[in-house]
Amino acid sequence: MVDDGPIISARDVNFFYGAFHALRGVSLDIRANQVTALIGPSGCGKSTFLKLLNRMNDFTPGARLSGEILVAGRSIYGQDSDPVSIRRLVGMVFQRPNPFPKSIYDNICYGPRLIGAKKKAELDALVEKALRAAALWDDVKDKLGKSALELSGGQQQRVCIARALALEPEILLMDEPTSALDPIATAKVEEWIKSSGMSIVIVTHNMQQAGRVSDYTAFFYMGELVEFGPTMDIFTRPREERTENYITGRFG
Amino acid sequence: MILTGFSQKDRKARETLALSVIRLVAGGFLAILALIVGYLAWRGLGAISWEFLSQFPRDSMTAGGIWPAILGTFWLAVGAMLVAIPLGFGTAIYLSDYARPGPLLTIIRLGVNNLAGVPSVVFGLYGLAVFVGFMGFGRSLLSGCLTLGALTLPTVTAAAEEALRQTPASFREAALALGANRWQAIRQVILPAALPGMLTGAILALGRAAGETAPIVFTASAALTLAPPESMFSESMALPTHIFNLATNGSHIAATLPRQFGTCLTLIVLVLGLSLIAIILRARLRKGRKW
Amino acid sequence: MGQALLLRPKLSPTEKGARLFFLICALVALGQMLLIMVFLLGEAAGLFKTTSLWDFLFSSQWYPTYDPPEFGAAALIVGSLAVTFLSSLIAAPVGLCLAVFLACLAGRWREWIKPAVELMAGIPSVVLGFLGLVVVAPFMREVLDLPTGLNILNASVILALMAIPSIASLGEDALTAVPREIQDASYALGATRWETIWRVTIPAAMSGLSTAVILGLGRALGETLVVLMVAGGAARIPGSLFDSARPLTATLAAEMGETAIGSPHYHALFALGVVLFLLTLAFNLLAHWLGQKWRKR
Repeated sequence: MVDDGPIISARDVNFFYGAFHALRGVSLDIRANQVTALIGPSGCGKSTFLKLLNRMNDFTPGARLSGEILVAGRSIYGQDSDPVSIRRLVGMVFQRPNPFPKSIYDNICYGPRLIGAKKKAELDALVEKALRAAALWDDVKDKLGKSALELSGGQQQRVCIARALALEPEILLMDEPTSALDPIATAKVEEWIKSSGMSIVIVTHNMQQAGRVSDYTAFFYMGELVEFGPTMDIFTRPREERTENYITGRFG
Repeated sequence: MILTGFSQKDRKARETLALSVIRLVAGGFLAILALIVGYLAWRGLGAISWEFLSQFPRDSMTAGGIWPAILGTFWLAVGAMLVAIPLGFGTAIYLSDYARPGPLLTIIRLGVNNLAGVPSVVFGLYGLAVFVGFMGFGRSLLSGCLTLGALTLPTVTAAAEEALRQTPASFREAALALGANRWQAIRQVILPAALPGMLTGAILALGRAAGETAPIVFTASAALTLAPPESMFSESMALPTHIFNLATNGSHIAATLPRQFGTCLTLIVLVLGLSLIAIILRARLRKGRKW
Repeated sequence: MGQALLLRPKLSPTEKGARLFFLICALVALGQMLLIMVFLLGEAAGLFKTTSLWDFLFSSQWYPTYDPPEFGAAALIVGSLAVTFLSSLIAAPVGLCLAVFLACLAGRWREWIKPAVELMAGIPSVVLGFLGLVVVAPFMREVLDLPTGLNILNASVILALMAIPSIASLGEDALTAVPREIQDASYALGATRWETIWRVTIPAAMSGLSTAVILGLGRALGETLVVLMVAGGAARIPGSLFDSARPLTATLAAEMGETAIGSPHYHALFALGVVLFLLTLAFNLLAHWLGQKWRKR
C-alpha cells in the first residue's frame, strides 16, 4: 500500500458541548489510503472527533469548536467552507444501517442525483461500480428495484457503504459500522475495509477489530488523544501506560 | 471518475427559496391566528362587564347580559362529561386490559374509531331522534348532555386508552406477579399511574363540548330563557347558540353586535382556558414522568 | 397439584364484576355507533315512500316546503363537496408548510408554537363562522364589489382556517416520527437541509401526512356552523367562487328546527344525514387506507 502523507490534519482541536469539554487539544495527522482506527472507552471523544471530520456536529445545539481541521489541505471550518460540499468529499457510514425506505437503486443514486446526475446510463454505471466496490453486486444485481429495507442487516450496511461510495468520496468515515451486525456480516464488512485501499477512519470499541483492519490506531481517553501510531506498535509496545491498560482490558 | 463537474449554485438558491417560502407561509398563518385572537379580544373586551356576565338579557337582547347562556354551557359541558367519562374510561380499560384479540375487539375498535369521524350535526340528528323523540326527554339539558356525551365519547376513550397503554407493562406484570388479580392491578397500580393522562384527554374533550353548536341546536337550546333552568328537563340557553342566534336571527343584529363579540370572547376564554389547562397539565406530566 | 395448574384460575366475584362492567361500557360505546346508523337509516327510509333514490341523489330541486315538496339533494351534495375541495386547496399546502416548519425549522420555538397551534384547533366553529360573517364578508363585498360576501369562497377560507391547525399538528407528528438516522444519512451524503426534507423526511412521512390532510378535510366536510353562517344558503349548484351554496350540514342545521317530527321533510333531512355520514365514513376509510398503503412501502 502506498503512503501518500496526511489527508486529514487536526491542529489543536478543542470541542465543547455546552459546558462539557469533549475534546482537549487534539492534534492528529491521518494518512491517505490507509485505515485509521479510533479506539478508547465510551465517552472518550472518539465518535465526537469522527463527526467533526464531516461537520456532522453542526446540528448539535450549543456545540463550539476551536482549532483547525484540514481535509485534503483545506480548512473545513474556515470562513468560506461549506458543510454540504465537504460531506460530498468525506463520506460516512453509521453505527446502525440506515438505508432510506427506497429501492436499493434509489438509495445508491441519492447522492449523485443531488449533484445533478440524471442520465440513466451514467447512474446505472455508478450503481454497479458502487455495489461492486462494496462487494454486494452479486447478491443484489437481480433485485435493484426492491426496497433496501428487505435486505439482511449486513447487506443493508453494505448498501450504506455503496451509497457513500457512489459519491466517489476521498475519505470514508465509519462510526462503529459493525456494532449492529452478526459475526458473519461483520467479517464481510471488515474484509471490505481491508481490501478497499481507501482512506478510512473507523471508530470501534472492539479492540480485535481495530487490530484486524487498521494500519494506524489512535487511542482517545477522556477527550485527549493519548497515543497515535502504527497499529502494530500500539498493540505490541504502547508508549503510554493508559494505552496499555486499555488494550489489556484493565478499564473500558 | 464518473461524476465530474457540477455546480452548487442553483442548489443553494433552491434551498434558500424553499425554506423562505415555508417560513413565510407558516409565519403568515401564525400572524393571522394572532390577529384573529387579538381582534376578538379587542372587540370583545369592550362589551364585557360584570353586568354582562351576571345578568339576564333584556330589551330584545340589546341590553342585560348572558348569564343564562354561561350557566347553560356550564351544565351542558359538565353533564356531557358525566356521560362520557365513565363510559369512555370503562371502554378504554376494557380495550387496553381485558379485551383479547378477536372479532369482538376489532368491531368495538372499528365502531369507536368511526364514531370519532361522524360530523357533529349528525350527532344532533341522533340526539333529536333518540333522546328528544324516542326516549321522550324533549328539548332539554338532559338530551343535550347525552348528545354531547355521545359526541365526546370517542375522544375521551382514545385519550384514555393512549394513557393506559403508556403505563409500562412492567407495572402490570409486577402487580400480577405479587398475586394481585387483574382488577386489583388496574385499580391499585395502573389507574393511579394513568389517571392524570386520562383526565387531560377528558378536559380537552370538555373544551370541545363547550364550544359545540350543531348538536345542541335541536336537542337542548332555547333562544331566550328568563329564569335559570329548573331541572335537567328544562331547555336552556348556551353560549355558542347565543352567538349564532344574535348574529343571524335576531331582530336587532346591528345593535347587538358588541354583545356578539362579548359572547364570542367569553366562549373562547372558557374553551381555550380549559384546553390550556389540559395542555399545561400534559406538558407537566411528560416532564415529571419517571418511567 | 399438577392437575390444579391446568385449571382455569378461579375468578373472585369482584374480578368477575369488574370484567363485566368494562365489557358493558365497551358494548355501550359500540352500541352508540349502531344506534346512530339504525336511527339514521330508519328515519331516512320514510323518505323513499314518496321520492325515488335516483331523484334524491341526482335532482337539484330542493323545495321541501312546497306542495307537493321536492327533495332533490344534488345541489346540497355538490355544495358540500365544493367548499370541502376549495378549502383543501388552501388548507393542505398551508397546513403542510406549517407542519414542516414546526418539525424541521422551528428549533427551540417549536415547544411554544405547537401548543399554540393546537390551542387554535379548539376555537369553536361558531366563533370562526361569526368572523366570516362580520369581518370577511363585508371585506369581500367591498374589495371584490359583490352583492354579498356570503359565498363559497368565504366559507372555504374559514373552513381552511379550521382545518390548518389539525393538519399541521398531525403532520408534524408524522414528520418528527421519521428516524433521525436516515436524515443523518442524507446530510452525510452532502444533501442540504431542504434536499433532506424534500427527498427523505417528507417521503418517509407520506403515510402520516396524507392521513393528516384527509382527516382535516373530513372535519371540513362535517363542519356545520361555518357553512351555515357564511356559505350564503342558496340550494343551487354553484357555478363560480362567488356563488352561494347550501352544503348538507347547513341544510340540516337550518331546517331541522322547523320541521315536524315524522313529516316527509323530517325524513328527507335524515336521508341527508345518511349521505353526510357515508361521505365522512368514506373520508375516514380513505385516510386509514392511505396510512396502511404507504406503511407497506
